[in-house]
Formats: sequence, structure tokens, C-alpha cells
Amino acid sequence: MNIRLARMDDLPGMQATNLQNLPENYLMKFWIYHAATWPQISFVAEDHKGRIVGYVLAKIDDESADKGEVHGHVNSISVLRSYRRLGLAKKLMLLSQEAMVDVYKASFVSLHVRKSNKAAIGLYRDSLGFEVVSVEQKYYGDGEDALNMRLTMKR
Amino acid sequence: MAPSSKRALPSKEATLFRELLTLYETRQLKKGVKTADQILKKFPEHGGEDPSRSAMARDLPTTHFRNPVYERPVPSAIRQARRRHWLVKKGMRFDLTSHICWHVFGLIQKDEKNYEEALKSYTQALRFDKENINILRDSAQLQTQLRIYDGLVETRHTLLRLRPSLRQHWIALAVAHHLNGNLSSAKKILEHYEYSLKNIPDYDVEHSETLLYHVRILEDLGEYAEGLSLLDINSKSRAIVDRTAIMEFRARLLSKLRDTDASNAWRALIDHNSDCYEYYRGYLASKDVDLDNPSDESRAQALAILQEFASQLPKAATPRRMALSFATGEQFSDLIQQYLRSGLTKGVPSLFADIKGLYTEPQKYKAIQEAAEAILQENTPPEGQCSHGEPTTYLWTLCFLAQHYSYVPRATPSQPLPSPDFERALALLSTAIAHTPTLPELYTLRARVLKRAGDPLGAAAAMNEARLLDGQDRFLNTKCAKYHLRAGMIDEAIQFFGMFTKKDAANPGADLEEMQSTLYLIEAGDAEYRLGKLHLALKRYVAVDKIFHEMEDDQYDFHGYSLRKFNLNIYLNLLAWEDRLRSHPAYVTAALQASRIFVKVHDDPSLITAASSSVRLSDAEKKARKKAKKAASKAHDDKKPATASTADDTVENTPAKDDDPDGVKLLGAADGLDRAAKLLQPLESLAASNIDAWLVIYDVAVRRKKYLQAIKALKHAQSLDSEHAELHTRLVDFKKRASAFPQVPPAPIGPLVTTSLATLLPEEVSLETYNSLYLQRHSGCAPAVLAAARVLHSLGSAIDEVDATLFTTLADDAQLDIVTASKILDFLKAIKSSRVEEYRLTCVSRFPLSTVFMTQSELSQKQKQTAEGTTALVEAEKLEVVP
Repeated sequence: MNIRLARMDDLPGMQATNLQNLPENYLMKFWIYHAATWPQISFVAEDHKGRIVGYVLAKIDDESADKGEVHGHVNSISVLRSYRRLGLAKKLMLLSQEAMVDVYKASFVSLHVRKSNKAAIGLYRDSLGFEVVSVEQKYYGDGEDALNMRLTMKR
Repeated sequence: MAPSSKRALPSKEATLFRELLTLYETRQLKKGVKTADQILKKFPEHGGEDPSRSAMARDLPTTHFRNPVYERPVPSAIRQARRRHWLVKKGMRFDLTSHICWHVFGLIQKDEKNYEEALKSYTQALRFDKENINILRDSAQLQTQLRIYDGLVETRHTLLRLRPSLRQHWIALAVAHHLNGNLSSAKKILEHYEYSLKNIPDYDVEHSETLLYHVRILEDLGEYAEGLSLLDINSKSRAIVDRTAIMEFRARLLSKLRDTDASNAWRALIDHNSDCYEYYRGYLASKDVDLDNPSDESRAQALAILQEFASQLPKAATPRRMALSFATGEQFSDLIQQYLRSGLTKGVPSLFADIKGLYTEPQKYKAIQEAAEAILQENTPPEGQCSHGEPTTYLWTLCFLAQHYSYVPRATPSQPLPSPDFERALALLSTAIAHTPTLPELYTLRARVLKRAGDPLGAAAAMNEARLLDGQDRFLNTKCAKYHLRAGMIDEAIQFFGMFTKKDAANPGADLEEMQSTLYLIEAGDAEYRLGKLHLALKRYVAVDKIFHEMEDDQYDFHGYSLRKFNLNIYLNLLAWEDRLRSHPAYVTAALQASRIFVKVHDDPSLITAASSSVRLSDAEKKARKKAKKAASKAHDDKKPATASTADDTVENTPAKDDDPDGVKLLGAADGLDRAAKLLQPLESLAASNIDAWLVIYDVAVRRKKYLQAIKALKHAQSLDSEHAELHTRLVDFKKRASAFPQVPPAPIGPLVTTSLATLLPEEVSLETYNSLYLQRHSGCAPAVLAAARVLHSLGSAIDEVDATLFTTLADDAQLDIVTASKILDFLKAIKSSRVEEYRLTCVSRFPLSTVFMTQSELSQKQKQTAEGTTALVEAEKLEVVP
């Protein structure tokens, strides 16, 4: 699978992948907004025909309550079930994290994950080194709690 | 009052008015209305406020529309449109020469996405206030949206002249020149801008992006050395902060300069991201490997390089996979064995999808089969024993081989591959399922094999089994719903979709449509189309068009936003993408299908009445069903808590009611063909290599009596594939229509039609002969035989002659697939042939796994069974969830 920076013409494929995989979905303008504002930190994986099979969509928060520290946030990440076990999610995450530090000097990366999503939590904690900072009660539309996870970045 | 004093407000009110505009811009609407009222109380006939108050009133329900530019529009806006227009016109009656009136009118038109009219209003406003920054800025955005680039350059020029101190105005002018195709002017402006810049803060992302934009312009101008030096200077000084972008520009520019340092630059990128194909291609090209037509020598060279990478980068999959494309013979056999072994041991579900691109070469096909069979053998547990080899490797090898044996080769490769063996694939999957009954992938594969074998019902049932093994997985859910749509089980499909859509949506389909799911709309449209429900199909396809309109509107805010953010390269990419947006397969499919429906209805208007009576019928049915359901659920339980009440949903927030929910009005629209032409228009440039597009463009044009367009379409189609079956029927159709003209169309059209016709098909030959010559050339190709048979019928041949022609597709050496066979069967039915049953029965034995050739009653029976199976499984699932 080919892994590279997300381009504008990837957005419909990213949106479709998200809609096929996850219950949290976004209108096209949301995707455009992220790509146009932080064009360096979102990535895709595509198959040989150029179809998107996985993506990470990220943003930068620079005026947060967290002591004004610039940090990255992973809005959405998913890989089609039929393209699992290739390590795509990890590769996508690593590229995004690196770009957040490189371009924006992000001091940490944050994300939310469903409390029940063991596989994802395993990836973030064990493979990537994220830690749970807090639990956000009923964060998701269906009432499930979210773990707020964070990875401190070395510069 | 004199006109001048009519416009001028005393200073207190003038200040209030400026405040008012800011409030509108920042969407503080309630406050805005209050301020406007304050001014109006004192100056009731002041031209300016009325319209701006009306703009506020229109936006009031959309408060909370703060900065996020991606907020959803609020439908209630529409209801206020009439009042708003009335207010603005009232304001204009007081003062037609007020720039504010025109400005606000333009704002309203812009909000309604009526960009052309909005720009006209802005132009009027500028006549009365030539140097108004706000109006100029808004005009520039409209000109960009409308792609009026020469006008844009002018507007940006004026803005820069008025406010040269604003950095943004320089950049905006450079971008305008760029869009207008004048790169060298863009470059000059940037140079001037950079020269005059003072006090750039350290580590400034905006400045960094501007410099990268400058480098891009130099690259586009072909000034590679200048680009490289600009890049190098500014990356050394750390003015450009995006390290990946620096490396990519560097590698590309060095390659274009044929600099020996290029391969090092690509190498650095490979180290940075070792799974990006472009980097390897760049590296190989820098080593003079011709990737498109590799000689034996370059193949060997590429292979050596890639294997070197593979050993240095053990985690990278790309060099290993790329090597497979270059290797041949023995070496390929070795490499593929390692590759398969590693994938099958890891249990990579996409392994087959990954390597099937190699099946264009029969030797590779054979080598892959041998390698996989060998791995299977090693890992197969002997009868009665469980431990031998790795059980998961065994499982994934069975899966792999099932995909291999059910592979349907692409049409006529030079050396043909074996035909798919669906029985064998299913047997392998049954073994796998017996071994591990809980792996969803085994059922999704089974579903895919059944689908290919022509059994959409069995496929849907298998997909549901997969879904039940992991009910929390939306991917499996979507697949399951999609397969039910393919099987014509729309109600069941919607039920599945509904397990993941928003519960407060009117229905699952409405939610998916709102979330811009083209997958759902296309699949649902196709399903309705196959069931003959043209009105519903049309409704879905047209909804896809609406999504693409939304995406085009989405860019509007970025014409201002991106320039303020200095994200210029990505902004230009955004515009380029928007310009090609409708080349997306979902749009192409939707536009073609919708147009086909409009054509059908034009040719047979009785379809409209049939549709509307079917809607009335199904409405009655629905009511009855609802009643029954109500009764049943009442009997079942009353303890269910009331679903989240919608009571606090204000009337404002309920979307405008669709006055044509079933698409019957749309289907009967008097201007159906014009609508089709409008849908097809973007395809002429964006799908120019798609022959189906030209054929449908012809169908619509010829019925709209646009003969020159029709000829153009036929010529395009002919240049793409002159022997295409569907083109054959159209050529004959056009000649027949032309010879039946009651009078020759007036010059220049008439003579042009005559001369063009002569180039499209031979004049001296009769259509009968023309058709039989075509049939002779393609007697072994079923779609062509069907086309020839259609022409025979249209020329008035006897039914038995048409029948006899069609039955040649059943000969042993004729290649017949399920899709074509079922089309032939449909045609036989349509012409009321006496041999329908004979053809059908032959197909039943030819395609034993397929349900496509079942009789209606057999099919309903099977559908019922599948539905019952589905319900039973779903019910069982519910029981399981309840603790």
C-alpha cells in the first residue's frame, strides 16, 4: 500500500472510508477545512488503483487552555477492515506526529478513543506510547465514554 | 430630502451602522437587528439599514455560526427568503444609488449561492463606491468562485493599490495572476513582496508557506535552478520550516535538472517514509531506470536496487512488492514464495488484492498458484490430527486460494488465464469455515465468490453471517447492507444501515444522504433501477448531483480564508480539484444513470403514470403495514421508554418538507431531457475517455434535436472504440433518424449532418448489410451479437431471425457472461419471443450457481427465505445482546 501526504483529491475517498468504518462522520467542508488549514499533517494509505484504504485526519490547537501550548490533535483515523494487519494505522500516526512537531513545534499530541475500542487503545498505548489523561463521560453520540489520550513529543 | 442627505447619516448613526456591518460579518445577529432597529427608528427611510436588517433577520436562526467554516447550513433560511427580498427591495426603493443596498442585496444572493447575480449586485455597489474595501474583497471572492480570472486580477490590483501595506493583498494579487495563467507576473509580485518584507518573526509557518509557493511557481515556470536556489537558501536559514516539503521539492527539482544529487535526495525521502511509491519511482528514475517500458537490463537494475532497499528497510512493504513487478522467471517464483509466506503467516487479509495486479502475466499467475498450493500443503493438518503447521497460516492460505480460483480475468488478455472456478473456491471456503467458524473474513469472501457466480441472494446472506460475527463493526455492516441492495432487498438493507445512522434522522437513508454518502445513493439508486422503480432511482441519482453542488459551494469561504492563512499551495490545489470534481466516479455514474432514466421516460411516457400509481399503491401498503406493526408491537411490549422526544426541536430546525419524496414529479418533469443535458455537460471534458458517457450524451442530444452535438458524441465514441456494441446500435439509430427527417434541417446543420453521417458509417451500404457485416466480425462476442440482434429487430426482421442470432451466444465457443446473458433474456422477453424459456433453461444449466435466471416465483421464494434467514439471525442477535 502506498502511504503519502493527503491531497485535496483524496478527500472524497477519506470521507467515504470514514463513513464506511466509523460512526462519527463529517461533511466535506470539515475535511476541506482541515486540509486547507494544516496541509502538512494528514496522511492517507491507498491501494494499487489509488483507492483510499486508510487515513489520519489531524489538526493543531494553538490557543487551548493547556497553558497555551501548541499541540496536535488526531480528529479521525481509520483503516478499512480488509486492509488491517499491515501496520497502516501506526505508519499513518507516526508520519502525522512527526509533521506536527516538525512544522508546528507541537509539544504533545492528543486524541479521543472509545473506551471499548481495545484494539485502538492497544495501538496508541503500546505501540505509540500514548497515555490516558482523563475520561470524558458520554463523549460519543451513543453515550459511550471517551478516553482522552496524550503523547508528549520530544523535540 | 435631497438624495445626498438621504444617504448621509449623522456621525452617531454612522458609527452605529459600521458597528452593524461588523456584527453581521461576525454573525452576532440578534445584536445586529437591535442596532439596525435603533438607526431605523430615527431614519426610517435610510436606504442602507433595511436591507442589512433583512440580511440579519434571515440569519438569525443560524446563531452559533461562529468561526468554524464547516458548519452546516440551516434549512429554515429558505423560509425567510421571501421576506428578506421584500425588505431589501423596499430599501432599494428609497435609494437605488446606495452602495449599501446593492452590497446587502449581493450578500443575500451570495448566501443563496446565486453567485452570478451576487457579482452583478456587487458591481453595481462599486459604481457608487469605487474604493470600498469590503465590497472589493467580496467581489474578488465571487470572481474566484465563478472563475472570472481577468476580473479577479483587476480587483486584486485595486485592493493592493488602496492598501499596499496589507501583506495579504500582495499575495492575493500573485495568486490572481497565477490563476489567470500569468505565472511570470505572479513571480514578479512575490519577488517584490519578499524584498519589501521586514521583521519576519522566527519560525513563521505563514512565511514558510509563502516561500514554498514561490518555489512552486518557479518549478511550474520551468526555472528549476532558480527554484532550487530559493529553496536551499531559505531552508538553510530556517525560513522554510516544512522539512518534508523541502525534501520533496528538492528531489523533484534535482531530478528535473538531471543533477547527480537527485538520487540522494530521493533516498532521504525513502528513509523518511519508506512506504511511498513516488519516492522509489523518483529514485529509480534518477538511476535511469525506465519504469514504464523497462528493458531487461533496467529490470535487473531495478530489481537489484529494490532488493537492496528491502534488506535495509525490513519494515517497509513497498520495495518487496515493487520487486515483484520487475522480477521474472525463477527469480519471481522465489520472491513470490517469500512474499506470500510472510503475508499468509501474518494473516494479511488484503494479500490477494495486493498481488492480483500481477495476473496480467500468465506465467506469474501460474507461479503464484504453485507457491500458494505448496504453502497450503505444508500447513494442512493430516486427517484426524489438529497440529501440523500453523493453523492460521492454513486458514489464510485457504482464503487466498479461494480468491485465486474465483478470479475473473480481465477481458481478452493476450494470453488468456483460466476461467474462474467458483465451485472450487466455495469448497475451499467451506473447509476454512469448518476449521474456524468465527472469522468474519471467511464469510465476506464467500459472499464475494457467490456474487461473482451470479447469486446475489446467497452473497447477501453470507455477508450477513459475517456481520453477525462482529456487530460493532460498521465496515461489515456497510458491506452487508450494500449486498442486500445488490440482491434487491432494499428494506432489509435500510434496516442494516440504520444500525449505525443517527437515531433522530427521518430515516437511515436520509441520514446517509445528509452525510454525503455517495456509496449509499449510487447503490440504492441502482437497486431501485433494477427493480424498475425509476422515480426512486432518479431521486437517489439526483441527490448525488446535489452533493457535488454542495462540494462546489464549500470552496467559497476559502477564497478569503486561505489567503489570510497564507496556505497558498494547498489553496491552488483546492481550486484545481474543484475544477475536476465531477470527474469522480460517483458523479459520472449518477449523471449517466439519471440521464438514461430521462431518456427512457421520454421514449415511453407511460412509465410516469406507472410510477405514480405504484407510489399510491405502496403508500396504501405502508399504511396497512404500519397499522399491523403498531398492533404487533403493542401486543409485544409497552414498557419501551419513549424514544428521545423531538419536542424541543423547534419548528425552525425541522428541514423543509420534500414535496416530491418519491421522485414521481421529477420523473415526469417536462424538461427532463434538458436536465439530463445539464447533468452530462461536465462529462464532456471530465470523462472524455469514457465511451458510455458519449453514448448517453448522444442519446440525449439526438432526442433534443441537437444534431451537431449528437454527431460530436458519436465521433468521440468512435475514436475511443469504433467496434463497441452500444455504439453500433447508435450509429444505426442516427442514420435511421436522419433518413426519416420530414425535411432536411436548414443550413448549416442539414448539410453538416449529411457529410458527417458519411464519415460515421458507409453511405453506399444498406443498414441491413452494415449490420450483418458487423455481426460477422464479432460473431463470438455476446454483447456484439445482442447489439446486432437489436438492430435486426429495429429494421423489422422476423422474430425467428432475431432469435436465431441471439441463440448463437449459447454456442460452446462463444464467450457469454451472466450480465450479457441476462440482458439477452430481457430482450427476448421484450420482443415477445417464443423461445424465452429455452434460452433461460440453457442459462440455468450454464450458470448453475446463479440465481439470475430463476423464474419470478422461484426468485421470490428464495428472496423470502433469505429475508426470513436474515430476520431470524437478527432476532437471535438481539436475544444474545440482552444479558
